[in-house]
Amino acid sequence: MQAVLEVKDLRAGYAEREILKGVSFTLGPDDFFAVIGPSGAGKSTLIRCVNRLVEPKSGQILFNGVDLLKLSYPEMRLQRRNIGMIFQEFNLIERLSVMDNVLSGRLGYTGTLRSILRMYTKDDIAQALRLLDRVGLSEHIDKRADRLSGGQRQRVGIARALIQNPKLLLVDEPTSSLDPKISREVMTLIREIAAEFHIPVLCNIHDVDLACDFCTRVIGLQDGLKRFDGPPAELDKAALRDIYAMEVL
Amino acid sequence: MNAGILALRVDGIEAGRQRTRRLRFLTYAVILIAVAWSIEVIVVRDTDWTRITLKSLLESALRFTQLDTSVVPELWKPALETVVMATLATVVGLVMSIPVAWLGAANITPFGKSSYAFGRFLMTMSRSVHEIVWGLIFVSAVGLGALAGVLAMAVRSIGFISKTIAEAIEDVDPKPLEAIRAAGGTKFQILWFAILPQIIPVFVGNMIFEWDINIRRSTIMGLVGAGGLGLLLFRQMAMSNYGGIAVVILAVLALIILGEVASHYARRAVI
Repeated sequence: MQAVLEVKDLRAGYAEREILKGVSFTLGPDDFFAVIGPSGAGKSTLIRCVNRLVEPKSGQILFNGVDLLKLSYPEMRLQRRNIGMIFQEFNLIERLSVMDNVLSGRLGYTGTLRSILRMYTKDDIAQALRLLDRVGLSEHIDKRADRLSGGQRQRVGIARALIQNPKLLLVDEPTSSLDPKISREVMTLIREIAAEFHIPVLCNIHDVDLACDFCTRVIGLQDGLKRFDGPPAELDKAALRDIYAMEVL
Repeated sequence: MNAGILALRVDGIEAGRQRTRRLRFLTYAVILIAVAWSIEVIVVRDTDWTRITLKSLLESALRFTQLDTSVVPELWKPALETVVMATLATVVGLVMSIPVAWLGAANITPFGKSSYAFGRFLMTMSRSVHEIVWGLIFVSAVGLGALAGVLAMAVRSIGFISKTIAEAIEDVDPKPLEAIRAAGGTKFQILWFAILPQIIPVFVGNMIFEWDINIRRSTIMGLVGAGGLGLLLFRQMAMSNYGGIAVVILAVLALIILGEVASHYARRAVI
């Protein structure tokens, strides 16, 4: 099976402080990876290097065989359309409606003039409605995003990522702003949707239990280096102690 | 949701979006027509176009290019006076702004709606009168000279400074206030430890901005006899000495650029 994402010896950071010190891994088409590690380990930087929201210093990121780090800005923009992202703080446009937030996921495919006039195609609207129905929000399409609860807002974020028809989902701490029950619901939804649409997922998550329950493979980062790479079953106390560099009760 | 219902709802959404789009276009069109009409009425119709020729434009522009350097020695004192006036006016304005902001911030105003309304009234009053008019008022009150200019600009500054402070106070994050209150803090301690640190950046930024504006204002206060470079400008204008006017305007420009540079560094140092 061909890998969707192949990261090789990725380095990022500034001159004074290196954040990623050579990280490599391979993500297959049906994988759901969790990236765990203490705060400041470089989880968020790693995920943002993949769609180059953070510019890496060196290494290779092969996305379906294309080296993303060699692309010009216009080429990278076209690749970003294939990579959906879900954020910790949802990153919705608060003053726009739920529908317009989801449709904003189509901006990569919509010309500037059409987007200013908010003229999305009928197919886009139909797809947005289908996805909002799938995430359980079809009754809220006209509400402003800031009127929704945290869990609902993250569902809008999920629908916005999916309407891109992504070939890869980057998920950055999707549950940190949510309570434990809603967290599990959101993770369940992401896992179901990933399976339904056959999208591989790379997911930062600081909650080790959630990582083990929902992911097929765990990558443990510490101080910019990969300390663990394996299925959740192999993630024992010794491995956790190694990742978090401390005693685990 | 089955395909039929979906198609139906998509049609409904599409129709709704089209309606809002039309409404938006209509609004833009109305604004555009209003602007075009205003230009027609106040610019196109109200101007004597036969009087304006390329030659007359060039001639009046050229009059300003023969700089009259004999004015230069007279510049220094009023230029310095201008800067001093602006600085003093900003400080005095600031001091007067603090109580006004206290009255006019809805969340800390001492006597409810009445003191809030009074505070807001003072702000509006300060802003709705032009600095030249304030200048005239103070010249008649304290006589010709820089003092009238300082007072005029100080009073004119209250409007902007107190309004922005009051709005910053209204927008503070209530969480630190809760913490100080929970620790048993007094009202003053809440103000000092929870509100003040949050508004300092706005406060300092706007003060520097107002100082910058006051330098501009003080260059024209002389027009009403309230000191500064304006007096010199006025005299050159009265003599129709275009070269002299140009020199004074260049001096004003130099002062404003200096103020711009100084405020840039002040902002960086403080915020």
